[in-house]
Amino acid sequence: MRSPNIAGKTYSLMIWTPIKPGEEGALRAYLDGLDNGAGSPLAKLPRTHMARWIVVPDMPVAPGTDLRDPLGTQFLLFTSNLDGDVDSYLHELVALMAVEAAEVWGHCVGCPQPAEGVALKAYLHRNQVDSGVAFAAYPNASVKQIKTALDKRARLIDFAVRAQEMKPAERRKEFLEQFGAA
Amino acid sequence: MIRAALPALELSDIQGDILRAYGNSYDCASYAFVRIDCEPEQARAWLAGVVDHVTNAAPWSEKPLTTLNVALTASGLAALGVSQETIGSFSHEFRQGMAARAELLGDTGPSAPPKWDQGLGTGDAHVLLTINAQTTADHRRALAKMQAAMKDTGGVSVLYQQDAELLHGAREHFGFADGFAQPAIAGATEDKAPGGGVPERDGRWRPLAPGEFVLGYPDEDTSVDRARRLPPAPTGAMARNGTYMVWRKLHQDVALWRRTIAAAAARYPYGDARKLAAKVVGRWQDGTPVQTHPHGPDPEFDPAAPGANDFRYRNDLDGRRCPLGAHIRRCNPRDALDPAGKLSLRHRMIRRGMPYGKVLPEGALEDDGAERGLVFVSFQASIFRQFEGVQTPWINDGNIFGLGTDKDFLLGEPSGSGKMTIQGEKPFFVSPQEAFVVTRGGEYLFVPGMTALRALVDGTAG
Amino acid sequence: MNLPAVSPDAPPSNVCGRTTSITLFTTQKPWGRFWMPFMFTLTRAAPKSLEAMDKLSFISFASWSLIRELPYNGPPQTVRRLRYPHLFFEVSFNGSWAQYIDSSVRVLTTGMYTFWGSSRRFPGPLPAGPFQAFFKVHEVDASHYHCAYPDATVTIVRSALELEERLEMFAHRVRHLPEEQFDAAWDAFIEDAQRYL
Repeated sequence: MRSPNIAGKTYSLMIWTPIKPGEEGALRAYLDGLDNGAGSPLAKLPRTHMARWIVVPDMPVAPGTDLRDPLGTQFLLFTSNLDGDVDSYLHELVALMAVEAAEVWGHCVGCPQPAEGVALKAYLHRNQVDSGVAFAAYPNASVKQIKTALDKRARLIDFAVRAQEMKPAERRKEFLEQFGAA
Repeated sequence: MIRAALPALELSDIQGDILRAYGNSYDCASYAFVRIDCEPEQARAWLAGVVDHVTNAAPWSEKPLTTLNVALTASGLAALGVSQETIGSFSHEFRQGMAARAELLGDTGPSAPPKWDQGLGTGDAHVLLTINAQTTADHRRALAKMQAAMKDTGGVSVLYQQDAELLHGAREHFGFADGFAQPAIAGATEDKAPGGGVPERDGRWRPLAPGEFVLGYPDEDTSVDRARRLPPAPTGAMARNGTYMVWRKLHQDVALWRRTIAAAAARYPYGDARKLAAKVVGRWQDGTPVQTHPHGPDPEFDPAAPGANDFRYRNDLDGRRCPLGAHIRRCNPRDALDPAGKLSLRHRMIRRGMPYGKVLPEGALEDDGAERGLVFVSFQASIFRQFEGVQTPWINDGNIFGLGTDKDFLLGEPSGSGKMTIQGEKPFFVSPQEAFVVTRGGEYLFVPGMTALRALVDGTAG
Repeated sequence: MNLPAVSPDAPPSNVCGRTTSITLFTTQKPWGRFWMPFMFTLTRAAPKSLEAMDKLSFISFASWSLIRELPYNGPPQTVRRLRYPHLFFEVSFNGSWAQYIDSSVRVLTTGMYTFWGSSRRFPGPLPAGPFQAFFKVHEVDASHYHCAYPDATVTIVRSALELEERLEMFAHRVRHLPEEQFDAAWDAFIEDAQRYL
């Protein structure tokens, strides 16, 4: 049977940390200002497929129902779909994303000061909550493998279209140049 | 599934040409976008004169010489004095309007709203009058009458007018028979079910629920809802017998299309330019489906015959008969995505387009600079789910068909993969993808029922 | 009675390129406390149970979790016991949510009941309108969402991985193939590879 957090070689990580009362706005503003493309701090973690920070002010409740379940404190939820094991991932996180990690979790209750290194890693570990089931559409592929494969596919499409117009010798030559490296 | 008897369609309260086509016997059409510059009361007085002449869907014994139909934009509703609260009950995309949805629709670059024909997509177009006429003389008379009525009232004028004319053999400008494949609707066009309805697992077809196309009736979700709820509709008088309309003016660069296909066909190992074009479209020029006749058109093919569209894609999941990215396979994938058509049945629309502009002479490969193309018109209960649900994921993208970022080669533009794959023993890649079709403008409209039109005139529509 | 119209467009903070993320919390009925862990165990023991979703090929990652309590880190965090267990669901998928979901639920009906049947106010997967409204109400928007390959969809990633394997094998073969045999080999390769392009 598979572990609750694991799908193939990917791990579904979830960390809940309470936000210091009064700092919710500052944290939101910081997160809102981040570039979510290649400039995202999360792009510094090469084993991240997808990840997000979510400010959870409270459990959402359908209007007109008496199901309110106040959290008392707002929470920062960090989730990541990552390659491999979580311990080395968190190690990378505090090392490669040190500045942003300090900025983000620095707004949270119980976060070590300074928010860095092994102390931060231990804090994140401590606040991890297990998944019940994790699903991945391509569970055995790493981010690196995926990026390589996507690049090759794009180049092969381009080649295949142009190859229709090439002479046989030319076709073979360019194929080997582009894809023939051992 | 809960399937109860469907209520009968109130044909005399639904505008004509929605559920059943006026057919090809109307040779000319005009689409006149009217702008209201006066107080709502004055505009309603003008509309009162129009409403009396609107053609409804009740069967006629003799075809009228001309027909008239009315549709409104969101700003048009406001100009007629409809309250913001009522306008707020219309769908989000309708209220936004087509121009605001341009990026989603792929109307970028030369198709972007700032490049549209003046008057379209600005919020100034309020009312669309559609006139169909049997002859040019009838057409002229109807237009003169329309102008006279506006002059009488004042404060109302034609902002933009597009005339359209049927081409010989009901073809569009690229040369293909067009407009005969339509969804089969329960209570209206059940006879078209084979090939026009929902492909069921047992090999049969069933017509679609009328609420997919006219508001106020059960749709495909109502039949699986224990509470039998009807699809979302505006409040008040406009909740019933109306529908949403998409109007687009699509310019066609016929010379560019011919040159591109001819150049690609020179390398195509399995046939000539006609065959390659058929593979791109999914039909031969006369309308014969490539799926049923992959090698050549059927000389006996009659688009009006029952069963003319009776085919499926299940036996061709690798696209070797009809390519996976062929235009008609994208627009209506039938059972290509799942055996019971579950992933396509909620994305159907009624199309009532008409070509405009003169035909580019046969064989001409250079553009003559003339404006020509298609006025695309579709009717549906949800613009988002049906029109946009086809345009965005199916025409402007290839993902759901396993085709990566390939776009519909016929309608797409070069920002995708830039090629189309013609599947085969030796796959053939058609390229480069050019923008053969450029959007010149468009509007999202609402077509009220007859009672609702009268309520608009009376100022009681909400 | 008419269905509510659902606003279709996802907030930009949930979107990265072609990928959209949704995070959902739904309040559990009392029996959800036992049912959800049982379901999770069952699903993990029989990964095939997610096959229908897998086949639709538009969800890249998803996870479910039953939240019964949240970590406590001392003051100034308020001490709170949750009144109800909550089902957390997170998904990354490609395509426009509302445009796909109304079709997809028709294929995923059973799974929807299994996972959300124990959630309060769950209207059932069909009709799509109330179901989408249920999702909308229980969503929490992301503040920051990042995807490492934002322009690739699930199908494209899967195609690329399949293709790469074949391409490697072919490239390896070609290196040892006499020149005049390349064309025939290329034709055979591209016939096989066409579905991944």
